[in-house]
Amino acid sequence: MKKTLWQLLGLLVVSAMFLAACGPKATEMPATTEMPAMTEAPTSAIDCMGAKSGDEISMLYQWSGTEEAALNQILKPLVDACGIVLKPESTRDQALLDTRVQAGTPPDVAFWQVAQLVQYKDKLKAMDTLGANSGNYSAFFLDPVTVDGKWLGLPIKADVKSIIWYSPANFEALGYTVPTTWDELDALVEKMAADGNVPWSMGMESGDATGWTGSDFIQDIMLVQQGPDFVLGLIDGSVSYDDAGVKQAYETYGKWAMDPKYTVGGAQGTLSTPFLEAIYKPFADPAEAMMVKQSGFAGAEIAKQFPALKQGTDYDFFVVPGIQGLQGSIEPMMAFNDTPAVRALVAYLSSDLGGANWAAATFGLSPNNGATGHYTDPALAKLGDAIANTKGFTPDLGDTIPGGFGSAEFKGISSFVNGGDLATILSDLAAAQKQGLNP
Amino acid sequence: MNKEKINKLLNRVPIHVVIVATLIIWIVPTVGLLVTSLRPPEAVRATGWWTVLASQDASGPYTQSCAECHGADGAALPQADLTDPELVAKYPRSLQLLAMLRKDINGQPHMGERPIPSAQEAADIAAYLMKGNQTEARFTMNNYIDALVGYRGDNTYRADCAAGTQPPDLKCNLSDILNPRGMGRAFVNSLLVTIPATIIPILFAALAGYAFAWLDFKGRFLLFAILVGLQVVPLQMTLVPISRFYAQAGLNGTFLGVWLFHTGFGMPYAIYLMRNFLGTLPRDLFESAYLDGASHWTAFRQLVIPLAMPAIASLGIFQFLWVWNDLLVALVFLGGTTPVMTYQISNMVTSLGSGWQVLTAAAFLSMLLPMIVFFSLQRYFVRGMLAGAVKG
Repeated sequence: MKKTLWQLLGLLVVSAMFLAACGPKATEMPATTEMPAMTEAPTSAIDCMGAKSGDEISMLYQWSGTEEAALNQILKPLVDACGIVLKPESTRDQALLDTRVQAGTPPDVAFWQVAQLVQYKDKLKAMDTLGANSGNYSAFFLDPVTVDGKWLGLPIKADVKSIIWYSPANFEALGYTVPTTWDELDALVEKMAADGNVPWSMGMESGDATGWTGSDFIQDIMLVQQGPDFVLGLIDGSVSYDDAGVKQAYETYGKWAMDPKYTVGGAQGTLSTPFLEAIYKPFADPAEAMMVKQSGFAGAEIAKQFPALKQGTDYDFFVVPGIQGLQGSIEPMMAFNDTPAVRALVAYLSSDLGGANWAAATFGLSPNNGATGHYTDPALAKLGDAIANTKGFTPDLGDTIPGGFGSAEFKGISSFVNGGDLATILSDLAAAQKQGLNP
Repeated sequence: MNKEKINKLLNRVPIHVVIVATLIIWIVPTVGLLVTSLRPPEAVRATGWWTVLASQDASGPYTQSCAECHGADGAALPQADLTDPELVAKYPRSLQLLAMLRKDINGQPHMGERPIPSAQEAADIAAYLMKGNQTEARFTMNNYIDALVGYRGDNTYRADCAAGTQPPDLKCNLSDILNPRGMGRAFVNSLLVTIPATIIPILFAALAGYAFAWLDFKGRFLLFAILVGLQVVPLQMTLVPISRFYAQAGLNGTFLGVWLFHTGFGMPYAIYLMRNFLGTLPRDLFESAYLDGASHWTAFRQLVIPLAMPAIASLGIFQFLWVWNDLLVALVFLGGTTPVMTYQISNMVTSLGSGWQVLTAAAFLSMLLPMIVFFSLQRYFVRGMLAGAVKG
């Protein structure tokens, strides 16, 4: 009996090895089905840059689930036209990117954060040498992705953070109007609170990154109270994070975030409500809050959660009143290798067609000017207009200052809402800011 | 019943309470996952899994507040016919409905003597009037199908295929089960990683354990101590150097690379356990075997392996579960080219965390095989765990 067991085990090993050897090796993305929305684009507009059919591109990104499906749809015309084989990998573990780069086997392209452009500035290929079309990008999109005068990242996806989502139907039923100045917003909040309606849904629970929603809010308040030069000063270090202007913004935020009169559940609600749940609250029936300050992606989440609601009447957004410039985030694509297939990808994504296809896929905003007019989702179209008309675009502090400042900022905000001493928190963060900027 | 018996029973109560409470704490989240994995996405988004058995009759608040005047079907008053969709559409949500209910009709309060419904009741009434009392399916297998084929859209695989709007990587036929983004394909990959990565280290460990226990060679205690000491090396520390070496050897992204890695990191503990187990076997047994002319190889094959079966089986379970549930090693050395189940599970939700009902289904798919392995080998489990603990 033992003999048969051994034979069985041996057979298993052998068959496993056999299967492993013969099984299809690479993850290929079969691209044979027709996508009705995309077939109108003429494939002749795609420049393959000498890439041959069968050339591979290894990609590493943090997107997954439906986001991956959207990216596939965007890249499909390129795959069809040039026969490039995409070898995507998806993870939110930055250790994987770091391991790959240190081991000398980086992916051809990575879609990661702006901070990685600085981290890997010596290993990245410049975008203009890869044939990217800089004419399709506004200067304020190119600034954050330029390191030491070299254009290292292709701005691929953008989001506007400085907006407030609300329900026009609820505003109308309760007699509220959209504020146009910060004082009007302040007065509106007080009026809502006096009426017994909770004005804000400020939940910011997000696992390790709990607090990031608060950091967006605080940065918007800084942009209202101090202006974009102040925020850019924080980023380059000329303004210290324990400045009085920062303190003022924290206090304005804390007044709302810690009081159950102003936000759902008070300080505990802010700390323990997942940020996705917080997005839903103003649009649930009965509404638990009147407004939620969240980036543009919230529109898609609301549409998914409440399929019956219509953008424009049931949910809509207004830009934070009185803000000077917009706060936003850019996700760059960076290239570690220079191959014809990578060049084709860069050329496609920076072309008019690439921007238009990105817009049509309803996968956030494209910084590419070619996207204008091609958004199929009305909320995205409205956001796209806001971006096209803005005078300035301030990147997120936490994403931009390297060296772990981002997560320190999130923790600082959480402990501030939890009742921590503001002066201590800010001086700790100022130290983290200095260390991040001058390691 | 006499006093002694009652006392005995009472003495046991605290233990039983603790056992039952622990059991509930352990099981409730799993039950929640299981229930969620079987619910349609709309229901998952709207209500918690514990409401799954609650009554779905949505007409309650309507019957209570409105039916008396408007009639059970809503059509009793011709001037306010609640079956007219145009009229109902004017009051889609509680705020609009409540504003209307608070108004007077012909100088009389709308609700007469009755109390005005609460916001929640008004919301339920509005939803009821908009949708009617249709009940939706409580359970569905769609999440499992979506997970198996790796569907990453906003809808469900079956609905998308019926409408012909499936994502470009799906063909809506049986071949989808081997879609590289699906759990079906990942299951095969996981098996290909796990089976050799379980058997190879155990085989070597059994040989090494025998050598350390019964072969007399110089420095074997020192060697053994070094081996045991090597258990403290965290595998995270070695990822970059080994990845670099694999890149030169062409082992990155191959199964062989992962097998070798798991073998290397599984062996110290396996050797330690095997040596301690084999050391407890009676010396006379081996001496008589050698006297009868048995070589070390014969003794190993015919004595050691059959006797060590409990230890081998328990090691097998541990190593199997460890490799099966491993994400880090598979992510670094296989990554997206040959995705295993843990990799796919981590990529079922979006980076914002939506779409997690598919994740619950995927998690249960990946639990299936370990559960089978555990239940079929569980009688070795306790025996094997004690094997290294009480050394003779």
